[in-house]
This record gives sequence, structure tokens and C-alpha cells, in this order.
Amino acid sequence: MPTLIALQKGRIGEEVLQRLADTPLALEGKALGSRALRVPTATPGVEVILLKGPDLPRYVAGGVAALGIVGSDTLDECDADMLELADLRLGACRLSLCAPVGVDLATLHRKAHLRLATKYVRSTRAWLHAEELTAELVPLQSSVELAPVLGLADAIVDLVQTGATLRAHGLREVHVLGRTSARLVASRSACLSEPERVAPLARMLAAHLTKV
Amino acid sequence: MTAACPGATPTHIPHFPDRLFPAARRARRWEAALMDMLERRGYQELRPSLMLREPVDPHALRLFDGDDLMALRWDYTVALARMMVRRFPEPPRQIAYAGDVFRRSGQPWEPVEQLEVGCAHILEDASSRNAVDLELARILMAVPGVLGLQGGVLALGHAALLLRPLESENLPAALAQRLVWAIGRRARHRAAEALAGHPAAERLLAHTETLLQGLGDESSLTALSHSPYASLLEDERAHLHDAIAALRPMLPAGLVLRLDLADVKGLGFYTGPTLRLWAPGAQQELAAGGRHDTLYPELGRPWYSAGFCVRLTRLLDLAEAKPELFDETLTLQ
Repeated sequence: MPTLIALQKGRIGEEVLQRLADTPLALEGKALGSRALRVPTATPGVEVILLKGPDLPRYVAGGVAALGIVGSDTLDECDADMLELADLRLGACRLSLCAPVGVDLATLHRKAHLRLATKYVRSTRAWLHAEELTAELVPLQSSVELAPVLGLADAIVDLVQTGATLRAHGLREVHVLGRTSARLVASRSACLSEPERVAPLARMLAAHLTKV
Repeated sequence: MTAACPGATPTHIPHFPDRLFPAARRARRWEAALMDMLERRGYQELRPSLMLREPVDPHALRLFDGDDLMALRWDYTVALARMMVRRFPEPPRQIAYAGDVFRRSGQPWEPVEQLEVGCAHILEDASSRNAVDLELARILMAVPGVLGLQGGVLALGHAALLLRPLESENLPAALAQRLVWAIGRRARHRAAEALAGHPAAERLLAHTETLLQGLGDESSLTALSHSPYASLLEDERAHLHDAIAALRPMLPAGLVLRLDLADVKGLGFYTGPTLRLWAPGAQQELAAGGRHDTLYPELGRPWYSAGFCVRLTRLLDLAEAKPELFDETLTLQ
């Protein structure tokens, strides 16, 4: 039975794959170009499975994948029991409250019925609680920037890297809720019951992915 | 496809799996085998009512019968403790239990009905607490053999290793909760984030490092001697050291004993040594227990207590998913 490493598809996954190229954990090029979701690495007995972010914690918490690489924004939105071994500092973003240009935090605070569109409901709820605010949360899965533009919400809580998408939609950051980055996670069960298999692999991943 | 019939079906059906032939047989035999083992070791069976009499806990399943709100037993340890306080002026020392609890599950895939077997040891004075901890560990070590589970890991932790430093630093509850959560995930970076700017950050982070030294490695006990709280935790370190020395020679074949000093799950409940049984491929711990010395004082009795619970539902699931982990020729004759 091979050891599985779960990798989040998208920006984080692409950055990880680049850094793993020419290492013992490089993915087989031929398989990577295909539509395969399970790809062998250069190390026999170690395979990578490619998953969408929200699905990944379930594979790791369930012990199917021994290790995983996933954004902290995804981890903070779920309640999966797993170990978070390292902050890899890849794919760093800000989780920010963003509003149309001209609207500031004080204006949003004063709104009697604040509507916030977000993919990050749990993190937004935690921030609202800490700020002693209430708001109607509008859960969206994508293109969140459209919500204030089209009047579905007053503001959004979303990940911001460069701010270019925000600017293109007439929005700006008014408050940073937190910072996010890729994390190396591990199955609690696999780490406890098979540390001799999991620990060296985790060290190897962390070393290659944090190398400057 | 059956047409939906509004009003005739519940709006939400929790996950209640049925047990079919081999699983039903296993459940009955495993429960009986574990209870026999506990009885042979002097544990007397108690069975608190399935219906709760106490104020309804948020973990309980509630249902209406006409105008009456009822709730089902959601946790044996708590149900037993309340029953003991109600019925016994002096506690029976060793008690065992078996049966179902109905608990609101934290995860959608977890069934709300859980079959459990367990035991508790209650003391009126503290002098033999360490001996009781060892006795319970020895019984838990025998559980895999009774069930035919061929391999496993017994993780030994100690809640006070974090609890006492947190108390000594008088950390605000919300901050303590964040730190406990971070340490439970072995996330050094989250612990550092949580403590940023706190006057005790340096000490607590140095201590966190000692708790996170090598999962399952005995050298972590040595590392703990370099913690800023080493002298505060002298008794706990000595107890763990003695426990390992006493338990390791008795380990049955296939069972590995590992230290997990960062085991802080249930820190509000556990106050001393903790034990968790894992097996390769198990999604969650298969048995768990430890010392919980605040349970009875909170109910008005000055008694000390420790115990463990075997999660038979999880073991039954594991036996279905990974039959190769079990040798049932001995247990299912």
C-alpha cells in the first residue's frame, strides 16, 4: 500500500510541484500531464493525490493520505482533526474585508444591516464575534467580487494576494482579518501508528518546500 | 424514487447505521468478552438509565413525547458520576459499564449511536492514585488481545503537563484555548501566533517545544526536564517515567507504547495521565481514558476518579474496513 500525500489543486499545488521538481518527491511527468488524480513520485511507494482544497482535510483526517499540503484558509473553515506540522509560507495571502472604493470600516460598522459575501464563513463569523458585530453572511463559492458590485452584499471577505482583482472591480481592502499560507498537515492516526514511515517523509517535504 | 411526503418524514435523519450479521455477532461477543475481563478484575457493572434525569446537555439527543422533552444518555462517565452521587454515600471503587450512548456527532459521518464498554476507578483519598493509573493502563493494554486486534499503539500523555503551566501563568481563557488547540495540532507556528506579545510567551513557547519533541519518543521526557516549568512538573514527570518503566515490560506482542506529551484533547476534563488506543488505518482513537479528578468535586463529592472507554462502534467499523487487522479465530469461536 503506497503512502499518499494529498496536494491541493490550484495555485498552492502548482507552487509545490515546481519546488518538488528534481527532488526525490518529484511527480512523474507523464502522469502529471494526463488527467490522473493519483500520480507516482520519484520515490517508490510514495504517491500524490490531487484534490480540491475543501476535500483535502477529510482525506488526511481519515488517515487515507498520511500527509497533505493545503492552505490555512481551508483548514480554518473545517473542523478536521489532524496535525499541522509546519507553515510552509507558500501561497501567502491576506484574508481581508473588502468594500467598494469610498467605503471604510467605520461606515461598515455603522450599517444597521450589514451583508457580507464570502467563501470563508467560519473565519468571518469568528472575526464578527471578536469585533462584537453581527452581519448577514452570504455564502458564495466563487467570483465573490461581483457581490458588492451587483448589490448582493455591502462588502466581501476574501483572499487577497496582489489586489489586482479587487481593483478591477472597484473594491479595496478595508481591514485584514488574518494571513494565510500553505501548511504541511498529517494524519494523527498515521503519525502515531507509523511514525517511522511518516516522519522522514514529512521532514523531506518540509525541507524541500521551505528551501529559499 | 419515493415521493417526498412533507409532514410524514423528519426534517433531518442522523446517521444510525444498522449492524448486520457478522457485525452484530461481533458487537455482542466483544461486549461480553470485555465485560468478563473487567468483572474478573473486580469491576462491578452499573447501568445508568438510557433517559437522562439531569438538565439536558448540549451533546445529548433530545426528543419530544407529546409535551415532554426527553434526552438520551450521551456519555457514560458523566451519567455514572451523576448516578453515583445520587445513590451512594460512599462510592463503589471499581465500576464497569456497557451499552449504547446517543451523542450529537461532531462530524456528519459519525453515527449518533455509539456502543461503548468501559470502567472507572473512584478513590476517596489521593494516596493510591498513581497505582490506579497503572492498573487502568494494564487493563487497557489487554483490550486488543481480548478483541483479537493484532496491532496497535497505546499513546500515553499527561494533561497536567500543559494544564499546570497555564494555571501558573494565569492565561486568559480564550488565549489558553487557542494555545491548547495549537498544541493539540502540533502547530508550533499557531502557538507562536496565539502568544505573540504576551509576557509569558517565551516561557510557554519553550515549554511547547518540549511537549512537541518527537512524537512517541521517550527522549521527550528528557527534553521536558529542560522546560521552564520542569520543577513545577516534577511529580508528573516522575509519574510518567515510572509508568513507562512499569508498563513496557508487560506490553503484549503487537502493541507499542508511545509517549504523546502534546495530547491535550479533552484538557478541560482530564487532569492527569491520559491513554489512547490507536491502530493503523483507524480514523479515530479506539479507546480513550485517563484521570479526571475534577468530575466528582464538581458534583459535590471529594472523590478522585479515573477510567477509560472502549469505543466498540469504531472497532466494529475497523473490523469491517480492515479485517486483516483482526484475528478472530480466538475471539469468535
